Amino acid sequence: MSLLQVKNVSKHFGSLVAVNNISMTVEHGELRAIIGPNGAGKTTFFNLITGFYRPNTGRIIFDGQDVTHLLPARRVWCGMARTFQVTEVFPELTVWENLRIAVEVASGLRLRAWLSQTDDDKIRVRIQELIEMGGLASKADRQVGELSHGDQRATEIMMALALKPRLLLLDEPTAGMGDQETYEITQLIRQLHKDSKLTIVLIEHDMRVVFHLADRIMVLDQGKFLAEGTPAEIAANKAVQTAYLGQAA
Amino acid sequence: MTQLLLFNITNGLIIGAFYVLMAIGLSLILNLSNVINFAHGGFLVVGGYIAYTIEPYLGFWGALIVSPFLTAIIGLAVEKVLISRVYGRDPLYSLLLTFGLAFILEDGTRVIWGANGKPFTIPAALAQPLSNEFFFITGYRLFMVAMVAAMIAILFALLRYTRAGIRVRAGTLDLETVSVLGVNVRALRSLNFAVGIFLAGLSGVLAGGQLGLEPTMGAGLLMPSFIAIIVGGVGSLAGTLVGGLLIGVASGVTAVFFPAASEAIMYVLMAVVLLIRPRGLFGEEGMLT
Amino acid sequence: MSGKLQLESSGRKFVAPVAIWTALLLAPFWMPLLGGYTALGTRVLVLGLAAMSVNFLLGFTGVLSFGHAAWFGIGAYGCGMILKFVAPSTPLGILAGTLAGGLAGAALGALIVRRRGVYFAMVTIAFGQVFYYIAFQWSSVTGGDDGLRPFYRQPLHLGIATVDILNNAVAFYYFVLACFALAAAAMAFILRSPFGRTMLAIRENERRARFLGIPIELHIWIAFTLSCFFMAYAGSLYALVNNFADPRGLHYSQSGDFVMMAVMGGMRSFWGPLLGAIVFVVFQDYVSSVTINWQIFIGFLFVLVVLFFPRGILGAIRRRAAL
Repeated sequence: MSLLQVKNVSKHFGSLVAVNNISMTVEHGELRAIIGPNGAGKTTFFNLITGFYRPNTGRIIFDGQDVTHLLPARRVWCGMARTFQVTEVFPELTVWENLRIAVEVASGLRLRAWLSQTDDDKIRVRIQELIEMGGLASKADRQVGELSHGDQRATEIMMALALKPRLLLLDEPTAGMGDQETYEITQLIRQLHKDSKLTIVLIEHDMRVVFHLADRIMVLDQGKFLAEGTPAEIAANKAVQTAYLGQAA
Repeated sequence: MTQLLLFNITNGLIIGAFYVLMAIGLSLILNLSNVINFAHGGFLVVGGYIAYTIEPYLGFWGALIVSPFLTAIIGLAVEKVLISRVYGRDPLYSLLLTFGLAFILEDGTRVIWGANGKPFTIPAALAQPLSNEFFFITGYRLFMVAMVAAMIAILFALLRYTRAGIRVRAGTLDLETVSVLGVNVRALRSLNFAVGIFLAGLSGVLAGGQLGLEPTMGAGLLMPSFIAIIVGGVGSLAGTLVGGLLIGVASGVTAVFFPAASEAIMYVLMAVVLLIRPRGLFGEEGMLT
Repeated sequence: MSGKLQLESSGRKFVAPVAIWTALLLAPFWMPLLGGYTALGTRVLVLGLAAMSVNFLLGFTGVLSFGHAAWFGIGAYGCGMILKFVAPSTPLGILAGTLAGGLAGAALGALIVRRRGVYFAMVTIAFGQVFYYIAFQWSSVTGGDDGLRPFYRQPLHLGIATVDILNNAVAFYYFVLACFALAAAAMAFILRSPFGRTMLAIRENERRARFLGIPIELHIWIAFTLSCFFMAYAGSLYALVNNFADPRGLHYSQSGDFVMMAVMGGMRSFWGPLLGAIVFVVFQDYVSSVTINWQIFIGFLFVLVVLFFPRGILGAIRRRAAL
């Protein structure tokens, strides 16, 4: 059974149709990239999957469960985690504190007034793990709001990871990054995919990243499905080339 | 019995009309700029007192016309110097700012005009009751309602048909887009605020004619305006209109059966609306969350 | 090194609390030297606790409640009514007042927790006024405009000794300080807990908090309710301070004062509101003794703080330290 099945979802805002009858199936362990020119509806599509919006039509089945009408927090509990186009972290808290909150919530401790020493130790170990994985060891005590773009994004990804998701959704993870940072984030994502066997869906504009990471690619254009296939198939697809003509990568 | 009821409903409508005038100004400012203008009552008082001051020179009608404009100018100055600095910040700060402003205006009035109430004379022609039967409807009260109705009509027309009005309406929904489209948002906000204060000033003049002038009169009229907005639905001017009339009528009707509770009924109404339809009668889902 | 929020404790952080507690413990001794008197200190302590309770919600959860004086007032009236009509027991009065305000807050909170920002503030103001209105009108029970009186704080029977807190100002001060310590400890405890951290998360970035799986409305309701309990507790103590419960204590202008104390002292710090309360009360007392038109000065204070010191005294100090 596929991990994620999106069936014929549509979303319109008044007369503006942002997402028009799109379907997608993602298998366990797959890394799927969603690409398309600006305004193609990619983020809106993400928002539908994660519960930020309700679809006007269609259904979303996550690991066999119909989550179409579940609130975002509930979907997180089902195993979905996401990052945003504009990094959403807790800016005035340190990296350590950001991750601490994520880990505690993920461990079901959010309503606790008190932590036993054992719990506390377990949490610290986990936070340390995540910090190492994200390459943030030297910045753990700094306010996230003051870190570089890349480090902020890494923190955000690690927070998503803290939730032990079965599906990780990344919205333009390399947006606004220079070459070096892009490389580092790409490596991070690759590592998560290969080592942790995480199923990942990402929106990206940077084609190098897309072709480097993706198992399959889905192309959207103006809210509609355009094409889907392996990187090779997509690269050769005439319609995709036309849609992108004149667009910067 | 029906006579009494009619009496009180009409009374209520008259009171309601007055609440509407106050509340609409408050609502305008709230909708566009996300600012709760605690000082609205203060501007009401200022408007009334300015009218009192210029009446000897311009007469009642002169004062009625000029005072709101003068008050609006003061409001404009306040907006430019103080309030514009807190746009875009946490709403906490605009609240505290207008809060402090309210203190300044109320006490300032006391300093300039003295702590005692002042009488405000209205033309004798208006002070006459319409007839013996409808003794409670003095010409003045009718005049007040007519004024309110006229103001509302003008306002709605302005909002509907002028460019500035359309921009204000668009800005209420999505200020960012409006600014991206090249509209001078700062000027728009200033204009909007000034209009709101104009209405507050006018309310002050009208209230002064009805109740006499006192430095503390503004504060007592602020709460009904709040409730009118909450009941009618935040974000909707039509809602504020309906809300104001509703609480006025409710107040009037309650006076028949439960005189002591005629003020409390406003709060009860608000509680009921919040329970059943939290967004208010005409409010939009997701407004100002 | 940029400023840090104190979630974990370290040795350096103990200096400030120790200094504060020392000052508080020795207040009856150093206050007269500065022209103050013990009863003033008691009053400031209680108002400071109220400001801290508002800040529990405002500074640490990021939720703007401008009607919090309602719970303060309910606490005061609850305590007063127990002392006046039911039993001459101070602890019972405090308990009753705290429960009354806290439960009322819990009920209201459930109604309005889905709204936020300006709308939330409006509704809290309006509801606060409901209670003000009730206190004013229901004069047969509450004493109306004159307030609820007379009642007196009763001596404490502690088994081994009886403490006369009614007539002995110093004894009463220490009693209130003990109560304050209890509440402050509870607040600090909660803020350092996993739940407390979710409050911070909600303040910092509600969307991210939601997408971590935190049920926002529930957590805000809990934080709201807790702050109402603390507020009502402070109100009960205030009734004891004055031997009197005042409807004006429920008015939204009182709420505004509490918020201002929190902002003035520094919203992001635990002790900020207490500092703000000290400054505010001293300022208000001084100005009102000098002129009838003290309200204008209070108004200007509000404007000044908002425009030039939004981070409050402690916030400004922190900033300088971090540079």
